[in-house]
Parts: sequence; structure tokens; C-alpha cells
Amino acid sequence: MAHRGSQATTLYLTALYMLVSCTAVPVNDLLDRASQRSDKLHSLSTSLTHELDSHFPPIGRMIMPRPSMCHTSSLQTPTDKEQALRVSESDLLSLARSLLQAWVDPLLLLSSSANSLPHPAHNSIYRKIQELQEYSKSLGDGLDILSGKMGPSSQYISLLPFRGSNDIGQDKTSRLVNFQFLLSCFRRDSHKIDSFLKVLRCRAAKMRPEMC
Amino acid sequence: SVYGVLLFLCLLDVYKISGHFGPPGKPKLTSCRSPEKETFTCWWEPGSDGGLPTTYALYYRKENSDAVYECPDYHTAGENSCFFNKNDTSIWVNYNITVVATNALGSNFSDPVDVDVVYIVQPHTPENVTVTVMEDKDGPFLRVSWEPPRKADTRSGWITLIYELRVKLEGEEEWEEHRAGQQKMFNIFSLRSGGMYLVQVRCKPDHGFWSEWSSTTYIKVPDYFPRETSVWILIAVFSAFIFFILTWILNLKSNSVKHCLLPPVPGPKIKGFDKQLLKNGRSEEVFSALVVPGFPPTTSSDCEDLLVEYLEVYTPEEQELILEEGKDLQEGCLKSKGSPSDSDSGRGSCDSHTLLMEKCGEGEGKEEKHQERAQKGKRQQKHQTGWEEGDVSHTREDVLSPDMSEGRVKTWPSVFSPLPQYSSRPLDHQGSLETARQLCLSDSLFPPPSTSSHLSYNAKEGLAASGLQLPGFRSTEYVEVQRVNQEDMVILQPLFSSSCQRDGHLQIGQGEDYSKVKGVDSGNMLLLQREVEVKREEEDGDRYSCDIQDRVTESCYTTSTAASSQVTGKPTSCAGTAMPVQEEMVLAANGYVDAATIRQQEMCQVRVETKTHSNKG
Repeated sequence: MAHRGSQATTLYLTALYMLVSCTAVPVNDLLDRASQRSDKLHSLSTSLTHELDSHFPPIGRMIMPRPSMCHTSSLQTPTDKEQALRVSESDLLSLARSLLQAWVDPLLLLSSSANSLPHPAHNSIYRKIQELQEYSKSLGDGLDILSGKMGPSSQYISLLPFRGSNDIGQDKTSRLVNFQFLLSCFRRDSHKIDSFLKVLRCRAAKMRPEMC
Repeated sequence: SVYGVLLFLCLLDVYKISGHFGPPGKPKLTSCRSPEKETFTCWWEPGSDGGLPTTYALYYRKENSDAVYECPDYHTAGENSCFFNKNDTSIWVNYNITVVATNALGSNFSDPVDVDVVYIVQPHTPENVTVTVMEDKDGPFLRVSWEPPRKADTRSGWITLIYELRVKLEGEEEWEEHRAGQQKMFNIFSLRSGGMYLVQVRCKPDHGFWSEWSSTTYIKVPDYFPRETSVWILIAVFSAFIFFILTWILNLKSNSVKHCLLPPVPGPKIKGFDKQLLKNGRSEEVFSALVVPGFPPTTSSDCEDLLVEYLEVYTPEEQELILEEGKDLQEGCLKSKGSPSDSDSGRGSCDSHTLLMEKCGEGEGKEEKHQERAQKGKRQQKHQTGWEEGDVSHTREDVLSPDMSEGRVKTWPSVFSPLPQYSSRPLDHQGSLETARQLCLSDSLFPPPSTSSHLSYNAKEGLAASGLQLPGFRSTEYVEVQRVNQEDMVILQPLFSSSCQRDGHLQIGQGEDYSKVKGVDSGNMLLLQREVEVKREEEDGDRYSCDIQDRVTESCYTTSTAASSQVTGKPTSCAGTAMPVQEEMVLAANGYVDAATIRQQEMCQVRVETKTHSNKG
């Protein structure tokens, strides 16, 4: 009797699993797409910092604020591999979404001040900021969908308000310094997002071990 | 001892000044790398040591603390390096690293460097690169496979690697590079049979640096026969076969092919022309052979074929006008030049435009005017229309039918036409040749030319040259050649001014324009009555005086030089056909003149038959 009951539940679970997996875009596929976007996001930010560095006043490096001054530094993130691999999928996703959410406003500020930036490549910088915003938006939407599939704990987003003023500075040097500082903070955070998503991707890709 | 110390210090100072000893130079951090995002190593470059043993120390500070730490491991990574193990490595944390060089005389700090481990990842080379030759339906290919570097943890997704490989034939300069993405296997096709290939692989993290190339793997491709070549051989053999067949056929039919491609050039076909004679013989023989007995035609029958009959109208005092006319004639003749040649045989004189040209030429400078020559083979005059159309052809059959024969319109040379128009004064009877008359064609017997042409003819020849008005017709005296009948008789009809026109009815014009032909005297002259009475339906009283040129000469012009002899011969043949002048016939009631015969002195005779045209009710 019990034997038959266990058989029935196995059958039932298998059927349910198959049903679930057959319905929408599979999670690993969604994660694959999301990690591709985050990869692009980070690449863009890296190229932006390099571009800004090309015409950066040396004195600016001296007065550059420390990275701990980033507005997202309060968010606790793993600092090495063991820590990172111990984090649950939901938490990883939550972290990624929180970080992404925290940059919506600062990107707006960067975008608005890019045109008037005292830098020879300010046009190209402005275009790249626009791209950043697009990718960020689409990644956020994708992660929202993912979080719907991965359980309630992934829905939690830490609020990381941007307390910086709406102005990046008055004089040329401080404008450049503040701009560069914001970009460096974004570069790191985008790398975190990318890393978390790629770890998630490999965890979900049980059917495609060759990718991981 | 004090002196000894001082000496020692002096020596030291001396050495210092001489530059042998000094504090160490500034060291420099060259690079820091992490192979797997879990540990990292930093290397520095020592500056000058100042001549003294120098020690180096690396100090670092993490981003969110002020504590300064010294390098935990100076040896694992080799000389002038600092190795940070897993415990000491934090990611997403800025390291502020400084190297200090110290010797007895001082120390020197390097410039600090900020390092974030995640940005300095450079993995080791891929491992276990294996290359095998595999077979395919298209031929052999290489399958290259490898593994990620041992330390890199790709399974958990901690590190994502992309790979790249390169291939070249032994002895070649250039490598062929291929991106393999995240896969760990790659196929290479289009191999050279029997070639030795070199393969290398390297990798890179998603945001990091490329690794070194792996050690070279050698692989030899076995000899094989490429399938493509066999197809080409088959095609070559087949084409050769086809080619041989074609050559053989071409050989068989060489003659017809030659004829088709290189048609024989037609040689000259001159009757009597003998190429052999030309080559061998003398020129006289050649030219004498050219003389064909049958050419040019000399018989009377031929004479008839040639043709033109002319009515010459002569007015001595109007030579100037004639000269003017001549010019017109010239123009007019030129217009008629376009006569197509019908055959190689001799053309009728009337056909010949040179005849017309001659006539025109004559008209320019000659004093005597145009002569009408009547011959056996009389032709119709349709000079107006014929002139327009510009061609003259004469066949006997055409006498009555004025329409085109052989597509050509009969025409008289235009020499006739303009002359009579110019004379605006009464005609003088001076000698035999007097005022010019116009010979107008009766339109009734001929298909009427278009009025415009008729008029235009007049306009061109007569008015243009002389500027006289058409009514000038009235002042001239006309004999109208009505037609040439079957008996080779030119039927003339005196013409009133108004009747020299299109409507084609024989009209009897006014008075002094016409004269009756009284007769033909022995000198081949038409004698005309002077009186001019124009009345219709009067039979006897009407006398029309047409000052017609009395002498009618016929010229049988041909293009050949033998023409003259022909002409001279003619009278004999024509003479027999002379008819007695019938005087009573000459005096026609209505003034039509039928010149029975006009004997010509030395020319062929034109039988001019005057016929009375009676308008009796």
C-alpha cells in the first residue's frame, strides 16, 4: 500500500515537474540571457572609466574619494569565493536586484551631466551612459521575471538610496572627479551583479554541464 | 682611536661623495595578477640598490581599514614578488600596495598602487590539449579538445572562460586563429593531405586578461585523395574526349566550315575581262577583250529604246533668259538626278541623268534652245510631273499610258518648260526659230499631276527665274503636245494660257497665244499661222499662231560614245517613216496642230501629227 502510494507520488511529482518545466522559458535560459546583459553592462562601464581616465587631471587621483564612500557600500556582499558560493540562489538574485535598483537614480544624474562634462570625449561618454541605462532597464525587467520564478525570498530588495546631490560639482576638476568616482562605483557593482548571475546560471544549468 | 673614527667617517663620506654607496633607488610595482580570482601575486622591480645590500618589503592596506599589513609570502611566487593566498585575498576590495626598499643608508618607497583582485584575473593556459584526425564524407578534419586550467573553477560559475586556438602548417609564417567561445572542443576542416599541423590554445576570463598560449601540439594529416580532385579529373577527361570528337568532325567538314567562316571574295565580273589575260598578256589584249560586240546598241531597235524626244523651242533673243533658265534647269536637272539604274545594259537616253545634265548644260550656255526631237519611239511628255519625279523612261508601250512604267514616270527633260514662260512680248517671226513656245501637256490624257506640282513647276522654273507672273502664259504662244499616239505621232495642240493647266480639258484660250501650224516646210520647220484667234467652237476661223520653234530636232542621246554615230544613222532609218505633210490637216479648225512629220536634217525624225480638234457642237 505504502509502496503504491510512493509510486503514485513519484509519478505525480514527475508529471508536475515536467509540466512546470514545459510551460515558459526555462529558468536557465532566462539566467543565460540575464548574465549576457550583465556582462555587457560591465563591459560598458569599464570602457567608460578608461575613456574618462584618458584626460584626467593627476590631482584628481589624489582627491578621489575612497571606494568605501560608494552609496552601495552598505550592502553586505560576499568578499571571496567560498562566501559567494555559500549564498543561496534567492539571496544572490536579491543582491543583484538591489544593486541594480540602487543605480537607477545615479545613472540619471550621470546622464544629465555628461553633456556638460569638461572632457573632450563627452559626447561618446553621453552615448555610453544612455546605453547603460537601456541595458540596466532591460536587465531589471528580466530579473523581476526571474525572481517571480525563484521563490519569495528573491523578491526582497534592499534599499540603497542615493544621497548624493543632484549636482556633480561646480568647478571643472570636482565635476570630473565626482563623475569618475560615480563611474568607478558603478563598475564594481556591475561586476558583482555579473558574477552573481553567472554563478546562478551555472547552478541552474544542470542539463548543460558543458557550459560551466 | 678618535682619529681612527674620524678617518673612518671621512672615508665613508668620501665613498658617499664618490657615489658608490647610497640609499636604494625607488622600487616599482610592475604587476599584480590573479589566476583564478582567489589568490593573487604582485611583482616589483627593484631600483638601484645603492651599492649596499637592500631589502624589500611590501605593505598593503585594505580599503575600509587603515591597518597596514605586510606581505605574507615573499617566496612562493619567486624573486621580488608577494603572494597573497586565499585567506589574505578579498575580492571587491581595493588593496593599496606599496613596496619599500631599504638599505643601510636609507629606504625608498615605491608609488602606491590600487588593486582590485577581480580586475586583474589572468588564468593559466588551458591544459590537456589533444588533437585527433577524424574522417568525414568530405575528407579528414582535425578535432582539437582541451581542458580549462586546473585552478580555474568554471564548474561553479565562479570564473567564466572563453577560449581561442590557432593552427598553422609546419613551415608557415602565419597562424590561423579561431574563437571557440566557452566550448572546449573545435573542428578544423580543409586540411592539406599529408601536412604537419601545429595547434595552440589559450583562454581568457569574461573580464580579464588572456592567458599564455599552450605548448604546441603536432599532428600529421594522413595522405588522402581529395574527392574534389577526382571529379575534376573526370571532367577533364570528358572534355578532352569531346574536344577530340569535335576536332575530327571539323576535319571532315573542313571545307564547308571554311566556306562558312571565310566566304570567298567575289572577284570582278566584267564581261570580257579575263584575269589570266591581265596577268599574262598585254594591256591591248585585255582591253580589246573588254569590247563586247553587243554593246553599245547600235541598231534602230535599240535606238527606240533609247530615248527621248525633244521639242526644241528656240528664241534667239531670249538667250539670257534661257541662260537663267539654264540655271534653273540645272537645279531642276539636278533634282531629277536620282534615277535608279535598272541594269548594266545601256540605258535609254531619257533614263540617263547625264542626258539631262547635258541638256542642262546646254541650256546654260547654248543659244539654241531646246529641241524637240521626234522619233519613232516617241515618248510622252509629261514633263511637269515627270520633272517633279525626276525620271525619264521610255518605252514604246508607254505612249498611251502616261502612268509609270517600271515604276518611273516619263518625263521630258525640263529643258522645255521654263523657256516659253519668259517671253512676255509677242513672238517675233525671225527666221526659223522664233519665240519660244511652251509645250503644255494636256492633262486629259495624262494622269493629272497634282496641281501643286504643276503650279510649283511653273513657279519654280518660270516664276522663280524670271519673276514673271503666271499670266505670262497669256503672252506666249503655246503648242500643247497632247500626246504621242501609237503611230509615233506627237499630237500637238495649241494651248491657251488658261488651258496650260491642270484641269485637263482642252481649253481654247484667248487670242494671240496660239497659232496654228500651217505646215512643215522642207527645212523641217513648222510653219505656223500668225493669227491668233481664240474662240471656242469656231472651226475655221481660228487660227492660232503659235510661234513654235520650227526646227524640231531629235536628239538621240545615249551615254555611249557611239551615240553620235547612231544619231547620224538615224535619219536613214527614220526617213522612211516620214509622212507627207498634210496641210489641210495642219490647218485645224480649232488650232490644233498636227505636225505630220517633221523631217530632221540629221536627226531622227519626229513625226509630229497635228490633229484638228474640233469643238463642234
